[in-house]
Amino acid sequence: MRYRLLNLFLFVLWYGNAQFALTDIGGAVLQENGLDRQPEFFNMPWEYGTKLVKKETSMFIEVDSIGKQNIGLLVDQRERPILYVSDIETPVCADGDCKLMNIRLYWTLLGDYAGFDRDSKLPLTKNDHDEFSMADYLKLHLLLTDANSILKQRKIDELIEKPKPSEGNGPDALSGATIKEVKETVVSGALYSCYVAWHLVHGQLNAKLREYTSSQVTDETVFQMLHSANSNYQMFALGRFDEANYKEHYARIANIFETGIPMVRGFICKNLPEKFWKTPKLQNLFWNAFADVDINTRSLLLEHLNSASTETLERISTHLGVMTKNQLKIFLEQIGENGLVEPIRKNLVVFANDEKQTYGYIVNQFLEEYEL
Amino acid sequence: MNRIVISIFTFFLVNIVGAQDILLEAESFDNPGGWVVDPQFVEQMGSPYLMAHGMGETVQNATTQVSFEKSGQYHIWVRTMNWAPGEWDAPGRFNLKVDDTMLEKALGLRSGWGWEYVGETKIGKNKSAHIELVDLTGFNGRCDAIYFSTSDKEPPSSAKKLAEWRKTVTAESNAPEEIKNYDLVIVGGGIAGCAAAIASAEQGLKIALVHDRPLLGGNASSEIRVHTEGIYGNFERILRMLDTEHYPNGHVEAEIDQEKRDKNVKSYENIDLFLNWRAYDAKAENNTIQYVDARHTSDGKRIRFTAPRFVDSTGDGWIGFWAGAEFSYGRESVDTYDEAWEKHGELWSPKEADNAVMGSSVLWGSKEMETDQDFSEVPWAMPVAKSYKEVKGEWQWEFSRNDLNQIEDAEEIRDHMLRAIYGSFSNAKKEPENAKRKLEWVSYLVGKRESRRLVGDHIFTFKDAVNEIKFPDAVVVEKRAIDVHYQTVLEDENNPDFISEALFYKGIQYYIPYRSLYSKNISNLFMAGRNFSCSHIGLGGPRVMRTTGQMGAAVGFAASLCEKYDVDPRDIYTGYLPEYLELIESQKYRKIPESKK
Repeated sequence: MRYRLLNLFLFVLWYGNAQFALTDIGGAVLQENGLDRQPEFFNMPWEYGTKLVKKETSMFIEVDSIGKQNIGLLVDQRERPILYVSDIETPVCADGDCKLMNIRLYWTLLGDYAGFDRDSKLPLTKNDHDEFSMADYLKLHLLLTDANSILKQRKIDELIEKPKPSEGNGPDALSGATIKEVKETVVSGALYSCYVAWHLVHGQLNAKLREYTSSQVTDETVFQMLHSANSNYQMFALGRFDEANYKEHYARIANIFETGIPMVRGFICKNLPEKFWKTPKLQNLFWNAFADVDINTRSLLLEHLNSASTETLERISTHLGVMTKNQLKIFLEQIGENGLVEPIRKNLVVFANDEKQTYGYIVNQFLEEYEL
Repeated sequence: MNRIVISIFTFFLVNIVGAQDILLEAESFDNPGGWVVDPQFVEQMGSPYLMAHGMGETVQNATTQVSFEKSGQYHIWVRTMNWAPGEWDAPGRFNLKVDDTMLEKALGLRSGWGWEYVGETKIGKNKSAHIELVDLTGFNGRCDAIYFSTSDKEPPSSAKKLAEWRKTVTAESNAPEEIKNYDLVIVGGGIAGCAAAIASAEQGLKIALVHDRPLLGGNASSEIRVHTEGIYGNFERILRMLDTEHYPNGHVEAEIDQEKRDKNVKSYENIDLFLNWRAYDAKAENNTIQYVDARHTSDGKRIRFTAPRFVDSTGDGWIGFWAGAEFSYGRESVDTYDEAWEKHGELWSPKEADNAVMGSSVLWGSKEMETDQDFSEVPWAMPVAKSYKEVKGEWQWEFSRNDLNQIEDAEEIRDHMLRAIYGSFSNAKKEPENAKRKLEWVSYLVGKRESRRLVGDHIFTFKDAVNEIKFPDAVVVEKRAIDVHYQTVLEDENNPDFISEALFYKGIQYYIPYRSLYSKNISNLFMAGRNFSCSHIGLGGPRVMRTTGQMGAAVGFAASLCEKYDVDPRDIYTGYLPEYLELIESQKYRKIPESKK
């Protein structure tokens, strides 16, 4: 997680510097009825020239003492849904001192955080009433991007407690570590604003937005999602596909299989219609990725080994080194059942005799037993 | 120690194969020195073994004395394994010393468990030798056995042939000679097993509690150090004797709770505690378990335990497995028990069933010292740790992968975690701020979350929790969120593969029925602990140890009624439920005796 966050942080920092070196740092003016430029802090791709129009929905966020804040749906010029948006005004209270926070939030069609715009006239402020700096806004964006933030399961009170000193000689107390991690995560001097914003973005609204999309979605949007680089969009589309869809979008699905995240690859592997595994031509693109996909996906591919052609088995036998011990055992068992053909045997011998191969001994044992 | 005493002492340590052959089991050494006995993987690699778990500092030699029937020239083999093979020096290298001679060959070099030839030695007229294992690295070198033979024929390596050979060379009979009979035999001394023992002992049953470690508590023990979570439910009095404070996972304060737990369980005169005994077989006839066989993890002695009823609190469901109980492993498809949670989709419950499960943790920690501390280079750890840096490991240090079975591949899982730990610590040590950091404690025991789940009359699922169904036989109650983990590498290949994330479903309160605590098809088998009857998602909440402790206590009281009426576990639900519930209710108000606080 930290690794991922660090990368994201560096990217955001780079992106922020690159962008704001060229533009006015004063912040964007929110447009009432739509959007014709990329939100200032944004995680989704934005095509130049995009113009989105806001449509009202029946959904809203209830904010204490302020009331309902409407959720709008931003659609493109072809009326296709693109984002959800809400102009939020919410009180943020710390130690009895309350002030209003104004922020425009964006969500994806599946209710994930997409970005935010600040209000140039009403900037976010910290406990000491200093305005957020650009670095602070970027840090807030980074925090909101992390759906599994440390703020997720905790009440605000738990985050401000002082660490209990440990009496033992053991590893650092968790409470101290937690407080440290919270400090690293949130904008300094703005814990309450960060906490409120995170819970607005990731609260119960997510499920409602997803449901709303599910109930209204058209085939066109689903196909668009499949072609998106967003993994959740890809999963959403694949989850709705039937055999005909899989066949129709075969090339894109194979492309996702190669380039997507392990979870999506695994889903594809487990849910490809049976017809794919009966048709060598349809299988090939997936087997071609065998050496390059992650270990979990490779295991799922190996579950279909009995459907693989001899040519495929031969090709796999040139990639024995990428397999884990158990994967290698599965492969050997299958070729043992099929009958060991000469080209595969040759590859096995080369592998077994290669001292650098950790599992050469397993192949050796197999060959010994097979040739008995 | 004079020779006669040594001969008597070593009588149990060695097995005389033939006139000139001796098999010396490493776990039976007179003095293991700084080496630890590791019995976790017996079912896979064949035996407990000695391991040099020095966290990077070489451990003291393990020593023993061996008597031979005849003097002469002997070939020596050591059964060992390189646990992180690759293009570097093996991490767990060691030497063998015979009397005053250090044999040159470094050991611990081969991939996969098997025999390494050490060399030859001459056994003189005194027909005795002093043997030492000399650790060279402090990084988990391992020795299962040493074989001396006047012949140059290497013993078999493959698991099956080795098991047969071992039986032959040790001339071991099929059945243990010693038989012990109890009212209830409980296998597994985690929190669930301990609670079952106390509850049934309180009701007057004669109990055998068989546990393969020297300390009670399983994942809560000071050897693994996971704190207990969940509520007490109906069994606060019993669970307070066993649980832990809510210190950080991996904390040294686990030792204080360990003392409390051991003292409390040992205070019951009718609990016979078999510490360091690992069950290895259970036999059922007509779907009724007749006995459980167990072996001492060091001296190899065996006992057959007979009883009218048994409790499987092994965590891995071994007793049920051996006896032929139905069980499940992996994730059911989302439709099997209607366990969808759209928010987390496939990560929560998959469209198609698979064998992904929550992973195992190996906890660890370091501390600041007064002076700078060195830590060895660990090139063999870097392919796992990569650039990850850390100075301690909490629950997120967890490993699961779909090609690895949490039971069959537990040693590989543990070793993967050791590489993650040593590599990440080595990376952290390169930061100037960690110059004085020293590894304080690294567990070598696999802290499992999920393995086999034995099937009962009721399978507890996510839906039972969401709907907060109050079953007529609800005996366990919990408020803690359903908490299911996944590996973060599934979302991003750049993440370390040994770090997990938790998905929490927060409800109000849910109940587990008694029918999830006995086997569906083995008539006299209870289960308590993570191997109770549930789905993958159903396990997410109740897998924590106050909840599993509640299961144990519930089972203990049920067992006492089974004994009273001479009936099977199922009969308690069908015929004695009011009395059972009344018993649970009435025991709540007993005071905790001062001696057990």
